[in-house]
Amino acid sequence: MAVRPDVRLDDAPMQPVSCTSCGVSVQARKSSWDQTTLQWNDAALEACVERRASVPRPGPNGATFVGCFALRDSVRAAAVRGDLDVLSDEPLPSNPAALNEVSNA
Amino acid sequence: MTAVEDEVRHIETGPAPTRYARGWHCLGLIRDFTDGKPHQIKAFGQKLVVFAGEDGNVNVLDAYCRHMGGDLSQGEVKGNEIACPFHDWRWGGDGRCKSIPYARRVPLRARTAAWPTMVQDGMLFVWNDPEGNPPPADAAIPKIAGYEDPEWTDWVWYTTTIEGANCREIVDNVVDMAHFFYVHYSFPTYFKNIFEGHVATQIMNGVGREDVARPQAAGSDAPKNKGTSSTASYYGPSFMIDDLTYHYEDGNDVPSVLINCHYPIDENSFVLQYGVMVKKLPGLDDEAATGMARKMGDFIRLGFEQDVEIWRNKARIENPLLCEEDGPVYQLRRWYEQFYVDVGEVQAEMTDRFEFEIDTTKPNAAWRREVEENIARRNAAQQEQPV
Repeated sequence: MAVRPDVRLDDAPMQPVSCTSCGVSVQARKSSWDQTTLQWNDAALEACVERRASVPRPGPNGATFVGCFALRDSVRAAAVRGDLDVLSDEPLPSNPAALNEVSNA
Repeated sequence: MTAVEDEVRHIETGPAPTRYARGWHCLGLIRDFTDGKPHQIKAFGQKLVVFAGEDGNVNVLDAYCRHMGGDLSQGEVKGNEIACPFHDWRWGGDGRCKSIPYARRVPLRARTAAWPTMVQDGMLFVWNDPEGNPPPADAAIPKIAGYEDPEWTDWVWYTTTIEGANCREIVDNVVDMAHFFYVHYSFPTYFKNIFEGHVATQIMNGVGREDVARPQAAGSDAPKNKGTSSTASYYGPSFMIDDLTYHYEDGNDVPSVLINCHYPIDENSFVLQYGVMVKKLPGLDDEAATGMARKMGDFIRLGFEQDVEIWRNKARIENPLLCEEDGPVYQLRRWYEQFYVDVGEVQAEMTDRFEFEIDTTKPNAAWRREVEENIARRNAAQQEQPV
């Protein structure tokens, strides 16, 4: 069985985003401010500082790395700057002060 | 209307895979196989025999005796071997014929197919690999700390056979947030998937639904369920551990572990099994805690029964049409494909880390409305009926 690409990428493909913490590049996509798709590769995974520093949480699934906060912030900042498309035209749901911080960063 | 919008979209059903997934498959609780009798299991398109020898080792062999085709699962365990009911040929757990009581010697090539087995946390696993390789260490299933811990209950276990559906249908559930509302009576408020290597994870938080009468609420003064937090991971193609915490209105959190696993019978049927263990609340005796696990399991069963009804009637679909509020169905299937190709054919895209977080804003608004409507309808119906 051939692996098929997500039909949703036909009209809006993934775009590169670099992490401001370690510089790795991943493919990202945002259909709205609160939806995020991230495609990593091996090089990005090896370079991720938070991943290297992560310790397993308790519980049987504790070894799963839930995600990198620095990358999450980088993706959000790229979306706020307009470098990463946000498909939904709904406005950014945030308070003006927080928005200021991001644009000043 | 543009031409594209005007085109009828066709479903591509595709063929079900002709091979069975490489990986550990749980056959059930070990206690159900250690009665000294042979057990017949239909799996991976074959008939298997599972038996525990006197040495306590549990073995899985092809059920058909290589002599004259007798069914070993109808035979008898003798010592550490399974004896064929047809001519008493004795087969060891390693797949070799150990003796033929009426013969001077065992013929050459008296070897049948044996599956590697593993017993862990009360469950029996069998390793399936169409290439015939032994299980690699990195395919190991994580241990469940609650097992045999006196602060936790034992497994409450359920087994059901699903006819007329390929097992990919249940794996699709990993990413299908919306169906948890429509089919499983849940109300997801947070939903994220992570795929990496041979592990596919679903992180889901939800709130209780006022419009659904949960079994533990009916006729009891049990505190109301406020919601759940769940981290569930498939380790390989068929075995999921769900680290699931129930939050109650009285402030109690009840940690539980839910197993959701299956093995294929053939390409169009599979055995679905699930098990629950819960951490005993202070003051709850064993019986009450097990009763709680049973009620949880019964509620989960309701959801699975509805899944089955959907699967029985739905089309296999290779080209699902997705909205942005759906989960990563295609990427999940890309991950799942790694178990259906030879190890040498596994592509980086199948195992590379992938994350997908759903925006639940719009679904939650729609579902809140629907819950309110359901409650209003129920109240109206109650008022019409004299009590």
